[in-house]
Amino acid sequence: MANPIKNLQRTAAEYRQMDSKDQRRFWVDGILNNALYILMVIFIVYTAIRNHNFVKPGSIVNIISQAAAYLPIALGIGGCIVLTGTDLSAGRVVGLSAAVSAALLQSPDWTNKIFKFLPDLPMAAYIVIAIFAVMIVGSIVGFINGFFVAKFSLHPFIVTLATQLITYGVILLFFMIGTNNGQPLSGLSQEYKDFVTGSMLKFDGNVNVPWYVLYAVLMVIVMWFIWNKTTFGKNMFAVGSNAEAANVSGVNVFKTTVLVHTLAGLMYGLTGFVEAARISSINQSTGLNYECDAIAACVIGGVSFVGGTGKISGIVIGVFVLRIIFVALNMLSIDPNMQYIIKGLIILAACSLDMRKYLVRK
Amino acid sequence: MKKIIALLLALMLVFSLAACASGDTSTDTSTDTSTDTSTDTSTDTSTDAAEDTDTAEDTDTTEDTTTDASALNVGVFYYAYSDTYISSVRSALDAALEAKGIAYNDYDGNNNQATQNEQIQTAITNGCNLLIVNMVTSGSSDTAKQIMELAGDVPVIFFNRAVEEDGNEGTVLGAYENICFVGTDAPEAGHLQGQMVGEYLLANYDTVDLNGDGVISYAMFKGDEANVEAIYRTQFGVEDANAVLTEAGKPELQYFDANNTTGYQVDLGGAWSAQAALDYMNTNLSQYNEANGNMIELIICNNDNMAEGAISALNAAGYNNGEGTTTIPVFGVDATASAQQLIKDGKMTGTVKQDAEGMANAIAEVAASVGAGSNLTDGVAAAAALNADMYTVADGIANKLFVAYAPYTGE
Repeated sequence: MANPIKNLQRTAAEYRQMDSKDQRRFWVDGILNNALYILMVIFIVYTAIRNHNFVKPGSIVNIISQAAAYLPIALGIGGCIVLTGTDLSAGRVVGLSAAVSAALLQSPDWTNKIFKFLPDLPMAAYIVIAIFAVMIVGSIVGFINGFFVAKFSLHPFIVTLATQLITYGVILLFFMIGTNNGQPLSGLSQEYKDFVTGSMLKFDGNVNVPWYVLYAVLMVIVMWFIWNKTTFGKNMFAVGSNAEAANVSGVNVFKTTVLVHTLAGLMYGLTGFVEAARISSINQSTGLNYECDAIAACVIGGVSFVGGTGKISGIVIGVFVLRIIFVALNMLSIDPNMQYIIKGLIILAACSLDMRKYLVRK
Repeated sequence: MKKIIALLLALMLVFSLAACASGDTSTDTSTDTSTDTSTDTSTDTSTDAAEDTDTAEDTDTTEDTTTDASALNVGVFYYAYSDTYISSVRSALDAALEAKGIAYNDYDGNNNQATQNEQIQTAITNGCNLLIVNMVTSGSSDTAKQIMELAGDVPVIFFNRAVEEDGNEGTVLGAYENICFVGTDAPEAGHLQGQMVGEYLLANYDTVDLNGDGVISYAMFKGDEANVEAIYRTQFGVEDANAVLTEAGKPELQYFDANNTTGYQVDLGGAWSAQAALDYMNTNLSQYNEANGNMIELIICNNDNMAEGAISALNAAGYNNGEGTTTIPVFGVDATASAQQLIKDGKMTGTVKQDAEGMANAIAEVAASVGAGSNLTDGVAAAAALNADMYTVADGIANKLFVAYAPYTGE
């Protein structure tokens, strides 16, 4: 990998030595293994020809910022999938942390404030408090997930199904606090909105890149570091590909599993923090089904349910693929009923192509 | 160590059971007779007989009413706790029923008709003698009939969500004795919204028409592809506005995206969510803006939540930030507290108020009159008599009560 040009030369040399049958297989395999990316390029070119606005700066920035908003949750859930698990509670945790964050950061003069008792601190202090609060809320749920998965060898599907229900119950209770009566939480302070959705870069007249794009980039870098450069990251992949083997070779499987889920919960919390400012009106169903898109993004990006494989770059690509599809289908003015079908077909195709690699290897 | 954990888990289980059970006992004490499910039919007939004698007498003393109200064991079935408007109805109805001394139990259908049917069945076997149902599948007479069959002799008050298809009025409400409906006329919110939009545009036509081409381009956000109310609001919100405009000699509204034949963008999750409106609006703004001379000049949403999502996208693009910025008129439905505040701040233009307390008071009144022994039709009449401006009995259907919507553009 160190020298891509040499690598390419070697591949070319190997290719020349193959007989015609192998050469054909080389191309078929190459196309099938990269089918998703080839299809995406065709799809983007087609959309761009049909609607030139799709490739204008405003549209590209829009795709990037939407992807940035949905990235953290996918980065979190990716770890759970590497452990051959999943996390159904992710969406609800996003909802709960969005509610917590919104409740802490409603502007002081908002008449329907849910936490009327909050002392009059500067908003910057509350932003810091809210960031810690969402990280704590997310981590608690994540820790519970990880603990039950690791301690009782329960399948994560079961554990997170349970915590999903529990979290939803907590969300419903949270919205009934004080005089709120289940009303949506809005009236967020301007400082909070500026901190998250305010303009970081401005160009081409009125094209704004919001701050949360930077936060998403930072999170990608941190997660890349954790996955690739730490013992914890290596252990995660070891446990994911074979927990028993990892255990025998001295990896603390219990600790690794708990930590992966806790880290995932922390990422959901941060997603909630960004999401609250982005939507600016949080209700009980905020976050519903977010995990579906996140899991789909991971799988499209090659984080396999087989376990032990996956890359941060794949997750980023997966999130972008889903967002590009969403924006492109809208720009092509496709009937909403067809959008479900197209999205479903893409996920199915991506997973089949992904599994094909492992079937061939066996 | 393991034993301690096992012990803790077992304790947790016991406590959670105990917590649930305590809720049950509190309602059980108020009914007392509900312990025997096998004698249900016999107790039901006996209460029927009691009702008959009560109506025969008609000169009930207040003392009688209170004793009868305490004999009621009401089950209230909400379609989803997560709905903002339904949450307001729930707290108002809880208060109203408590004020009348009626014992009740709330259930969350969680947006699933099968769940709700099971809850109804369970409640009836548990001795529930009055059902207040907010059906999940809005506007389906088959579902309503199924609930009536589950209910048997137990009277049912349907509320909020329509029990019959449009143009099919009376198929359910006319077919059963012990049924009534308290709600809103499904198309009414759309009509009111459309008129409000039309009138607003007539008064501010030139300010709204940003590019000065004489035509207003609009965006429409639909809450759920399969919901009757959403369909009506999407349809009439535009049709009625067009009617007002053409009458005044103005051209009809034009959907901002000429290639989109449906004329709306729908929340694919069916959750009427702010997030769906936000994502759509961001995408729309990236190609339809003032720089391109094709800015969306009007936004109509099925509910206030979606309106807030759209406003959030506009805010980020530098619109609707109060004084000194261009304001794109945004219309919603529900008049939630936060929407009212946004209207006050000049960030939103109008909404349609669905009165949660009005709805709850009407339901509680009907429930109380059932407790007093009268039938549901009389109960509906009694509720209608509370406030003639707010409540109207449907034409020709004496057991259908409409709670009025009202346009809201700030106080």
